[in-house]
Parts: sequence; structure tokens; C-alpha cells
Amino acid sequence: MAVSGIPLLDDKYPVTMDMWPVEDEQFNRIYQFYDNLKEGKFTTTKCKSCGYVSWPPRVLCPECYAEELEWTELPKRGKVLTFSEEVRGVPLGFESPLIHAWIDLGQKSPIKKFLSRIINCPAGKLKEGDEVQFVVFDIPAHPKEVKRETVMSERVFFAFEPVEK
Amino acid sequence: MAQRNACLIAGGMSKWGVRSASLVDVSQEAAKACLDDIPGFSHKDIDGFLYATSFAGRCSFQTNPAPVMAERMGLRPTSICARVDVLCAGGSAGILLAKGLIESGMADIVMVAGGEKLYTPQKWEVFYSELASIDHDWDAPNGLGLPPPFFALVATEHMKQYGTTKEQLAKVSVVNYNFGADNPKAQFQKKLTMEEALEAPSVVTPLTLYDCCPITDGAAAVIVTYEEKAKELSDRPLVYIRGGSQVSLHSVSANWPGEHLADWAHLKVAAQKAYEKAKVGPDDIDVAETHDCFTISEVVEVEELGFCKKGEGGPFVEAGNTDIGGKVPINTDGGLLSCGHPFGATGLRQGIEMMKQLQGRATHQVEGAATALQHNLSGLNVEHTIVIYGREPVK
Repeated sequence: MAVSGIPLLDDKYPVTMDMWPVEDEQFNRIYQFYDNLKEGKFTTTKCKSCGYVSWPPRVLCPECYAEELEWTELPKRGKVLTFSEEVRGVPLGFESPLIHAWIDLGQKSPIKKFLSRIINCPAGKLKEGDEVQFVVFDIPAHPKEVKRETVMSERVFFAFEPVEK
Repeated sequence: MAQRNACLIAGGMSKWGVRSASLVDVSQEAAKACLDDIPGFSHKDIDGFLYATSFAGRCSFQTNPAPVMAERMGLRPTSICARVDVLCAGGSAGILLAKGLIESGMADIVMVAGGEKLYTPQKWEVFYSELASIDHDWDAPNGLGLPPPFFALVATEHMKQYGTTKEQLAKVSVVNYNFGADNPKAQFQKKLTMEEALEAPSVVTPLTLYDCCPITDGAAAVIVTYEEKAKELSDRPLVYIRGGSQVSLHSVSANWPGEHLADWAHLKVAAQKAYEKAKVGPDDIDVAETHDCFTISEVVEVEELGFCKKGEGGPFVEAGNTDIGGKVPINTDGGLLSCGHPFGATGLRQGIEMMKQLQGRATHQVEGAATALQHNLSGLNVEHTIVIYGREPVK
């Protein structure tokens, strides 16, 4: 049976039902993160006052409450410490296998351990100790109103993938 | 005003499970069961109302549910009427808030209710809505913190660090299911054997079917008042809310507080704080409810709550310490695994069981229980909530 949408919402994209962030600079103050992502950079905010590097990026230093923050890069390679693989019953929004890994970004990284998704990896292939790398991918654009026009706001997000040996 | 001591005096639940009923329906059923638990008391004497729910906004398209529920239950709150939302710990947070409201004199008789309606006409909607309950902008796009994959990571880590076995996880489900088999309000009334638990289909390795709590519709409600009013309203032994804590140190993927994923430092902090407030220690706890959303959760929780040493949760459970006659019988009404888990209502179900244990009227009674503890993990392990009850107030 064909399923039509809620008639009132015909041709509408309900951004409030969206599993991805609203990245457009009109709607958040950390849009630079997403602009950096589009250039392949993995960044977060560092406090100019106390030097604390926080993840995820924010507009307030959680340590000293300074508001003057700058962008700093994080390592783009890490090692898998522990992982889980959901093969069947993967929820809407993800493809099988849905792999989540606890990654070691190294002692030099301000963020030492990192939880992420592993993509571009078939089920049964990943092993503890494997090297993984940062990867950026496209996610669906959403519409936004600009005066009387509707324009599309392009988006990307990130995960990690196995380093090809 | 003299020092007040808050007491939990009554409680009741709707039937939990896959319900042909709406959120307002199951909430009314819980209110009725709660009032039936305290004959002679009128709901019209309730002056404060807290309603715990997390998915009302998503699965029932109902934000601001407290006034709706109060009206449907025939309540006319004049002290407070508010929603509490900390996902799986909404009910226990409500009990802690009620204690504060009662002991400050802000309210005299508070009903804390909570519920969820998670089975919608299409199942995908509840799973999709879970993406609204993790750290939306950072974790939802990758599904980080979604329950089975996250707890599979915890189980894998715990097995690696401490040698915990699949049999030890299975033992948690066997004990809890067999308690729940006698609970008519539980989602499942099923006796479970080790063989069944070990041969169950995989969910996310190493977790199999009986390692995971189900999706559940249901509601629960309790009454909290001060000692003198409690004596006036009920002849049952008094159950004092001695103390508690609610600890949040991180958010899903951001700033995990432990050395590894099976090290729940935030729960250890919560336990220390709650024991300090209640002036008891882990050895004083006669009976407990821990948040067994997954079997591995209970294994980690008995460690961090101090019932056994860190890393020994598996052997502790395996030796029968959580069963009747064990060191600390746990989840004597079936826990989340058997009762199910309508998020906002779970902490209230736990509170009801702890109250019944201390009043000597639980189905699986721990003889002479005088001190009880309930614990919730919430928001995909971003928060831990503890409430400690006793037959005596804190002096």
C-alpha cells in the first residue's frame, strides 16, 4: 500500500523530526565546526584563556567560563579499543552493520578516548587494535526559508573508517 | 515548622506491556491503583503533582503533560504541578523532588506519577525517537548511545577487563525473570532457565534476547507525604525516604568519566553521596532495585554500589547473591528485564517495591528488610539516580 504523508505537511521537510544537526550559521554559533568538516578538518574549541580543549565544541569554556575560544584540530587517526556490531534490527537512519567503537586517539591528543561510529566496514571485519581514520560524508540537506524563497542548506557529518592495509 | 521527614506511603501501577491504551489511559489506571493502595484516602487531598515522562512529546505529541494528566486523574494541585524528565530516572527524580517539596513545607501530599506510551501504530517511530534522547547534535547522527549497541560495548569491555562470562550475564536474567513471573503487572510472567537464556537469539554480540529489557507501555504512581500525615493516613509501617543523589558528569560520547566503558565512575560518586545523605553504607542495604535495562548493567551496578568489589559483579551474581537468601536480593518484583521499562514510570515501580519490602508485604519478601535502595541509570548512561529508604528516619 502506498503511504502518503500527513496532508498538511505535503512537500514539507520537518526539521524538528531530523536526526541530524541544523548546521546552518543562521541557527547555531559553532557553524565553523561544520565549515571545517567540509574542508575535511576534525576540529573543536580551545579556550584562549586557560587552554582547555573541550569536546564537543561549544561557546563557553566549561573549565574557566571564558567565552573567547578558538578552533583547534584533533587527530584524525586512532586505534579501536572495543567495538560493537549491530547486524540485524538496525534502526531507521542507519545501514547494517551499525558499528560503534571506543577509540584511542593517542596520548598527545587533548581528547584521549573517543566514541564514534565506524563506516565503510563490512560486518565481521573489524578487530580490536585496528587503525581507523576520520571520514566526512554527506547527509541530507534541509530546506530553510529566506524571505519568501525556500533554499536548501547543505550538510555533512563525520565518523571513522578502517585504514586500508 | 518542625523538621519534616518525607515518607512513601502508597503506590500502584497500571498493567505494563504492549497496551491497547493511550498515555492518559495508563496514567489514570496507575492513579487508581495507587489510590486503591491506601483505603480511605481521597485523591482530592493531593496538593502536589509531578509527572515523569520522556517520550510524551515524541510518541504522544504531547509536551507539557502535567496539567493534562492532573485533570484526567481528577487532581487539583495547588502547590506544584510539573513534568519531570530525565528519561529512565524520571520517576526516581520525582521521588527525590517530592522529598524536597514535602520537607521544605512547600507541599503536604504529593502524587508522583509517570508513564510512557511507546507502542505507536508504527514501531519505527519509537526507535527513531530514541535519537532525540541522546546528545542530539553529536551522537544522534551516528546513533551513539543507542541502547543495545552501547551496552554491548560495556559487556565486551567488562568481559575483557574482568573475565565476566555470558553465563554470569544469563544468571541476572534468570533471577529477575523468575521474580517477575509472580508479578501480575509485569510485561512478562515467564520462568526462565539458564538453558533458555544461553540459547536465545543474538541482539548485538555478546547480548542476546533475555539480556535486554523490552519496549513497554505503562504507568505508575506513588504518594509522598510527611511523617505525621502518613501516620494519620495509613496504619502500615512508615517508609522514610532517607536520602538520595542524582549525578551527571558527562553526556553520551562527551567526556566519559571512567577509565573505560565498564568503569562507571559517575555511579560510584552517586553511591557515595547517597550513602552519606542516608547515613548508611552498602552493607546496610537489605534489598535493592538496580537498573537492569541490560544484564550487564546490573553486573556493573552491584560493583559501583559497593555490594561487591569492582570487577566481581559477575561472580557475585553467579553465586546467588541477588536472589532471596543472598547478600542483597535485587529486583524482587522482576526488574526492568521482566516488568518492562516505560521510562518515566520505572523509578516509581522500583520505589513501590522498596516500600512493600520495608512494609513486609512484598511478593518475594526479604525477611526483616529495614533499609532499601533503588537505582536508575538514565539517558544512555549519562546520569545515575539513587534513593535510599528506611524504616527509621535519618537522625
